[in-house]
Amino acid sequence: MTDRKDITRTEDKTIEKTRELRTATPSVDIYENENEILLYADMPGVRKDDVTVNIENGKLSISGIRRLDHQGVSNWEEFVDVEYVRSFSIPQTINVETVAAKLKDGVLTLHLPKSEAAKPRLIEVKAA
Amino acid sequence: MFTRMNEIDRMFGAMDLLRARMDRLFNETNRPYLYGPAFSLETNSPRTNLLENGDKFEVRAELPGISKDDISIKIQGNYLEISGKRVIETPEGYKSHRNERSATTFSRSFTLPDEVDAEKVDAALKDGILYLTLPKSETAKPRQITIN
Repeated sequence: MTDRKDITRTEDKTIEKTRELRTATPSVDIYENENEILLYADMPGVRKDDVTVNIENGKLSISGIRRLDHQGVSNWEEFVDVEYVRSFSIPQTINVETVAAKLKDGVLTLHLPKSEAAKPRLIEVKAA
Repeated sequence: MFTRMNEIDRMFGAMDLLRARMDRLFNETNRPYLYGPAFSLETNSPRTNLLENGDKFEVRAELPGISKDDISIKIQGNYLEISGKRVIETPEGYKSHRNERSATTFSRSFTLPDEVDAEKVDAALKDGILYLTLPKSETAKPRQITIN
């Protein structure tokens, strides 16, 4: 049948395009206590070197690029190379110098300590 | 119009080719579940990739924040099952602002295109992705037959 031939022939002609990196939103958990804000973000497949955490003007941006190696023939593909991006507003009271980030098992952990001035303080009432 | 069965067969063969091409076309379009969060409450199953690389298969699954003790992998012939649970530890003394990462149990099973040698399967967990290397079993490998 001629149809069959046509289908195979056009396949030879089509040029395979490189896939551009898409952005995804990572799932996050945010916790807070008196001393710090704690953030967890799921970024499976992202290496430590491909993560950037940026704090600027009360805006926290996290980004992580996942690069998988593509060896072999793909039978099915449900996840691809992706850039995880997400931004948050954070209070100005975060002490930017002491922010700590950790990446383990594809989960990014961010400790955002509050500055001393922002911590709750108990005011003692003095007798007049 | 079709006088012979093999003509009908061939027609369906052409349709299969077309379908395979359509499937690949959709691979390129923006399927939201490809880029969304790893776990969703509706599916409760991790996303996977299956690659075929010569005489072995490679299965990859997105399993962020799951320790290797919480994952179990079962293989029988060409049947593969990945199951486990995800534990989310709420830190003590913190109040929660946002909870998108859910603690869940998951299970996913596959029928691989060929039988695999369960003895030689290699599993590694790295950066929240499970890498499974499954060598095809001897019986499933292509074999050269010499004519006497």
